[in-house]
Amino acid sequence: MNEKTDLTTRKENIVARRPDMPRVAPVVDIYENDNEILLQADMPGVTKEQVLINVDNGKLEISGMRKLQTKGTSTWQEFGDVEYRRVFSVPQSIDVGKVNAELKEGVLKLHLPKTEAAKPRTIQISTL
Amino acid sequence: MWTRIGDIDRMFDTMDMLRSRLNRVFTEYEGPYGEDYGWQVFNGSPRTNLYDSGDSFQIIAEVAGLTKEDLNIRIQGNYLELSGKRRPDAPEGYKVHRVERDMTSFTRSFTLPAEVNADKIEAVLQNGLLTLVLPKAEAAKPKQISIS
Repeated sequence: MNEKTDLTTRKENIVARRPDMPRVAPVVDIYENDNEILLQADMPGVTKEQVLINVDNGKLEISGMRKLQTKGTSTWQEFGDVEYRRVFSVPQSIDVGKVNAELKEGVLKLHLPKTEAAKPRTIQISTL
Repeated sequence: MWTRIGDIDRMFDTMDMLRSRLNRVFTEYEGPYGEDYGWQVFNGSPRTNLYDSGDSFQIIAEVAGLTKEDLNIRIQGNYLELSGKRRPDAPEGYKVHRVERDMTSFTRSFTLPAEVNADKIEAVLQNGLLTLVLPKAEAAKPKQISIS
């Protein structure tokens, strides 16, 4: 038996992810009514192509990259290129197939509809 | 031994990460962005950047959720005033779980490093960023001096 042969295969190409941009959590508002949960997040400077929304196993992850288009040398700088990222726990009663998102003026609006089973129902009292 | 080259790579990557984080320590010291807690409101007014490209200044401000009508830009000489009001966009008939986004009006003023040509200022609002291009006044523009 060759001593170079490993019993288990190792993934040699996994390298620790190197964040070259600071990662910040965007500010959010969360609302809920009988039909859906509504999430609004401020992501100024993020374009539609750079937004990633992932719902998986009770976790909702939103992330977006911002690359500023600048010219000239900086006199003062209070913000820069950034990766917005935030993870939320969402109830299992979310209808993942019907989640819809819109990005307007740097605000991400995410509608998370509830499944039919999770919606409240009124029960009619039948008169005999 | 050399089949473990990935481990060495990983070690160097971690060292690189540490170095880049240390490089940012001083620039982030006064900045509102930290590693994980970067979402504080900056005194209720939008954050801005100013760039100087010789002939003009460029100002970028973070104004997420504001429309053209909500913003007001005034200029007098080299004094620039940026004001606006963020209208509440809370939907009707919803129960509130969390409100972090600020809904206030703000005014922020700047003294630009040089006089600008007030007639040629361009303002663009896109993806929640306001970009102003302010061409400098003739007197403030850099001049080429030829050697005789």
